[in-house]
Amino acid sequence: MSKKALSKEEILHLSHLAKLHLTDEEIEKYRVQLGETIEYVKNLDELDTKDVAPTNSVVDLKNVTYEDGKESTQSLTREEALSNTKKSKDGEFVVERIMQ
Amino acid sequence: MELYGKTLTQLKKLIDAKDVKAEEVRDYFLKRIGAYNGKINAYLTVNKEGEARAGGILGGVPLAVKDNFCTKGMRTTASSKVLDSFIPPYESTVTKRLKKANAFILGKTNMDAWAHGSSTETSDYGPTHNPWDLSRSPGGSSGGSSAAVSAYLAPAGIGSETAGSIRQPASWSGVVGLKPTYGRVPRYGVIAMGSSLDCPGPLTLDVEDAALLLSVIAGKDELDATSSPVAPVPYLEEMKKKKAYTIGISEDYFEGLDPDVASALEKSIEVFKKLGFKTKKIKLLSPQYAISVYTIIQRAEVSSNLARYDGIRYGAGRQAFGQEAKRRIMLGAYTLSYGYYDAFYKKAQKVRTLIINDFKRAFEEVDFIIGTPTPITALKLGEFEKYPFFGELMDKFNEPGAMAGIPAISLPVGLDRNGLPIGMQLMGNYFREADILNASYQFEKETDYFGVIKKGIANYKDLS
Repeated sequence: MSKKALSKEEILHLSHLAKLHLTDEEIEKYRVQLGETIEYVKNLDELDTKDVAPTNSVVDLKNVTYEDGKESTQSLTREEALSNTKKSKDGEFVVERIMQ
Repeated sequence: MELYGKTLTQLKKLIDAKDVKAEEVRDYFLKRIGAYNGKINAYLTVNKEGEARAGGILGGVPLAVKDNFCTKGMRTTASSKVLDSFIPPYESTVTKRLKKANAFILGKTNMDAWAHGSSTETSDYGPTHNPWDLSRSPGGSSGGSSAAVSAYLAPAGIGSETAGSIRQPASWSGVVGLKPTYGRVPRYGVIAMGSSLDCPGPLTLDVEDAALLLSVIAGKDELDATSSPVAPVPYLEEMKKKKAYTIGISEDYFEGLDPDVASALEKSIEVFKKLGFKTKKIKLLSPQYAISVYTIIQRAEVSSNLARYDGIRYGAGRQAFGQEAKRRIMLGAYTLSYGYYDAFYKKAQKVRTLIINDFKRAFEEVDFIIGTPTPITALKLGEFEKYPFFGELMDKFNEPGAMAGIPAISLPVGLDRNGLPIGMQLMGNYFREADILNASYQFEKETDYFGVIKKGIANYKDLS
């Protein structure tokens, strides 16, 4: 086992954040693979970025807005919006109960 | 009427002149797809019933479109089982513009699932086979589109690139691939991978077709706030003016190349010199850093973009994600999570600034930077799976330009000792697509790509 590997707890924490259910086999595999990748990208520490501003976007645009009064051309009918769901009822999406 | 091997532009002229009907051209390609797609697996969905209309800028010509562009009423999967049954209720801006120009969408092409990969092997529908050697990968992620064009199962294709996904498959499949400036072509309706990186672009048989397609799909879109208001130029006209440019050569972009690739690049540089171009040695930041910046930022954007797939409104649930998507989501969640954000994500964004400044400095001295999209020619299918990080390493010459958002083109420049196509790339400054096309057009006139594109088509004989 590589020393760089993440712990099982870290993997479980990440899978919880990402809402992914992993098998035991996947957990073991990702511990090593993610650890290797994280180790690789640490080469960025060789570069001094103390006075460098981060780039969020390469396009030089600010506050892109619609003109006032312009109507949206992009809306779906109820039928279109529901056309790809597997579970709908009375014209609405069916979701899992979140409060028990 | 002989259609075999004709470019998009040539087919359009034949339809315009009523020498052939748009439906006949459509049926010609549907027949080829029927005969050859079983071996190559370039198309996931074939549009057998649609109407081909003559007239307009594209005159009814057929096109292959990567399966991450939402096409209203036509299944769109991004090659993932999560979207196996997804029929988009809306149209991407790129396909909307193509349809408005009277292109006929022949079908949707295979890709790495969610565009995660450089070989099409992460597709949930099986890999695409390289038309030059069916035991090899066509490259990826736009490998279905590049293979379709290479085997003449379409006269041209549309792909998308996050970092190399147009240039690398163009190189391995032996066709022309143009990655425009980020924001030049709208992303609206493209299934998102890395939103600060994704770029639609054409894969074609020649430079003129690339210019023609770019002129149709480029330009501001109010549905994509990151699309640029900079006006597109008349690419087809600009392309044909005889100009001389200065090409920059950076040693770091010639390291670790297969000897056949290296000598093909040397030969290409000689061609440019013969055309009256100047060359100049320059020093760029090592691509090694762009690999890391790309890995961090792309995984972060993937984890955010794929968060929407909950199986409620459309598609299957998160259990349907494949291995590569899961691995990327997990790493993105890691670099964005509390305690690691500054060390990874923010650090990568800062180095991204260094990469941008580095290119800006270089483009004060030179017009283009020359290199290859990929240090080796097409690998055997199955090679990528052995190394989880391999795609990133293979795309190391594409990642710096992708992170900066600059345009680039991949052109075929010969065959290696195994008879596989070799690609050369020119990277240019922001919104300098017209100059890239101009230089490429001159190169094409001088070399005809050393016969590579014609040989690729000849591997799949005419059926008419």
